[in-house]
Amino acid sequence: MIDEIAEATGVVRRNNVHVTGNPDGRPLLFAHGFGCSQEMWRHVAPHFADEYKVVLFDHVGAGGSDLSAYDSGKYDSLDGYAQDIVEILDALDLRDVVYIGHSVSAMMGVLASTIDPTRFGALVLVGPSARYVNDGTYVGGFEQADIDALLDSLDANYLGWSSAIAPVIMGNGDRPELGEELATSFCLVDPAIARQFARVTFLSDNRGDLALVTRPTLVVQASNDVIAPLAVGEFVHENIAGSTLVVLSTTGHIPNLSGPDELVRAIRAWLG
Amino acid sequence: MSLPADEPVMLDVSPDLFEELYEHAPCGYLSTDADGRIVRANQTFAAWIGRSRDALLGTSLPELLAVGSQLFYETRYQPVLQLQGEVREAAFTFLHADGTALSALVNSTKVEAANDRAAEIRIAVFDSTQRRDYERELLNARRAAELSETRVRVLQEASRAFGASATEEVLALALADTMRRAFSATTSAVLILDAEGSLELVAGTYPLHGILPTDDRTPELVAVGDAQLVLIAQRSADSFAALDQAMLSARVGALCAAPLVVDGLAVGAVITTFARPRDFDPDFIELQETLARQAAQTLSRLRLQRELVRLALYDPLTGLASRVLVERSLEHAFASSRRNGRGVALMLVDLDGFKAVNDELGHSTGDAVLKEVAARLSEIVREDDVVGRFGGDEFLVVCQDVDESAAMLVADRIVAAMHPDFDSVASGIRITVSVGVGYYLPTNGPAPTSETLFRVADAAMYASKDAGKDRVTIERL
Repeated sequence: MIDEIAEATGVVRRNNVHVTGNPDGRPLLFAHGFGCSQEMWRHVAPHFADEYKVVLFDHVGAGGSDLSAYDSGKYDSLDGYAQDIVEILDALDLRDVVYIGHSVSAMMGVLASTIDPTRFGALVLVGPSARYVNDGTYVGGFEQADIDALLDSLDANYLGWSSAIAPVIMGNGDRPELGEELATSFCLVDPAIARQFARVTFLSDNRGDLALVTRPTLVVQASNDVIAPLAVGEFVHENIAGSTLVVLSTTGHIPNLSGPDELVRAIRAWLG
Repeated sequence: MSLPADEPVMLDVSPDLFEELYEHAPCGYLSTDADGRIVRANQTFAAWIGRSRDALLGTSLPELLAVGSQLFYETRYQPVLQLQGEVREAAFTFLHADGTALSALVNSTKVEAANDRAAEIRIAVFDSTQRRDYERELLNARRAAELSETRVRVLQEASRAFGASATEEVLALALADTMRRAFSATTSAVLILDAEGSLELVAGTYPLHGILPTDDRTPELVAVGDAQLVLIAQRSADSFAALDQAMLSARVGALCAAPLVVDGLAVGAVITTFARPRDFDPDFIELQETLARQAAQTLSRLRLQRELVRLALYDPLTGLASRVLVERSLEHAFASSRRNGRGVALMLVDLDGFKAVNDELGHSTGDAVLKEVAARLSEIVREDDVVGRFGGDEFLVVCQDVDESAAMLVADRIVAAMHPDFDSVASGIRITVSVGVGYYLPTNGPAPTSETLFRVADAAMYASKDAGKDRVTIERL
């Protein structure tokens, strides 16, 4: 029993889990995508707080997660992240969960729901892609070279990072003003981890896992999403039996920020 | 000089000058609506990317970016801008109308909607093309430095961990751990050939172990069979079906099996698996081979040490205990005797007439006789008794926790055990033994040195010889 509590506390700290909303409500678990943290949901999650138990967390390497828990072998595939999601549900002992995953977290939810279907009640996949890189007749939207270009772009943007900011993140900051700055900055990610996460995100192929989903699933797609174009969302929808596809009028890859109200309405309408 | 706060500052400039400052500023200015569509752009920016202002208006900003920057724009820049209200020094690559790249640093500020004005994003673009080549060099240098630093660290840690390994099991654990961390592998495992020639999992995890049928096409057996690195970069229907199926069900996307080669022979393999397909580049292959080679060298050293220990403790011909081991067991027997007050017997067993066998039938027959004697001795002693050989035709038995009658019983059985003929070696050979027993009982006095007990047993053995051989003499201490 003590061990179980300790383990649960460990998971909560590792993934910076926050539980709010209606304690007796059906649990909603929000999972953020590549490039940001649970703050992605700040305009969406509060809308559900009256009726639902709202659970937010950061993937290891993002936001307020425990960076020391980062194991580059474990997190070299979406399986490692999916395992964490199942552990969070175990730690909080949540059942009949509505999993709401944005971008790459959509596929993590698909995987987690196949690892332990008993915890999941429904899946909401926001801007999902089962594979980003084109393959034969499959259109993912990108070529391998594009993913390499993203890695270059990440490097260019984090060029000044490691020398100035890494010491603060590593906990031995002799420049406390940087720490304060970081505490108020958004979408905190560790650049080295972001690099591997980018590779894992954009080079994964989970097309074969879609057929394993047994839970009611909503696929939400924004308009003009260059990361996950309509054809990609349709592929996910067609390969998850009985799923529903909703296309929002809001544009871009992050409807949770560009059109949060429309996204909330779509999820509510589907949940009923 | 300070001005009263409520007094407007009058600047001596005309609206034309403001427009001039905006249009031809030394940086690009852009404004977009909340959806990222361009609503204003200055001449500087239009000229930089080779498009007319009309063409720019209404264009979605990411459409002007190279693909890598588009991905960054959607996954990183947008969320930070939306949440924080501003982004500083985002590095973007814009595409000029002629296809060339414009490297730029971008500062963006979100302006919320107010009164009759819609929300917009104001963007300043600074040409950083001149920095680009320098930054690229810097980046490449940093990546190269990081790569070589990682490599050196991995090799140092490996060499420390391998060197500190006192047994094969500890070495296998260290190797599996090193491999997993060095390659960010999902799993790693060390498999070693056992006495029957099958690969046994000694350390780590190998998800295909036990799923794959016994087949000489498994990656680990190919690695060991060919003493070559086996790389499977992705699942393939072209490989044998069982492997493809096992990889699918165990969620293995790629794997590498590196042979452990000791003295020119592959004695095992270290296997790393990856959940996703992998491109195995030359650096990967080189590091795999280097680590496997380092571990194999340690394995070779450990096996050599084990062999030396075995040689020191055991007689190579008969496999019986050597003098060193017999003396150790004797010390052990004395210690036990001090604790429980029970007796210790040391028996010297000397073959009668062995010299004649050796001279007449040759050394190989002599050796066969010695092996047969060793086998008979091992057969008839008690379970905890230690049987040794001192070279030549002299054997020993150490009995601990033994009373005098039991010791005599063992000694008599030794004499009797040699009576059946040695026809399995060569017909007509007759061998008997003269046995001398040195017996010590703690109630008779303090424990002797092993040397003393040896001398007593030796004297007893000669007494048996003198009395006509094929018998037992016991001397008490």
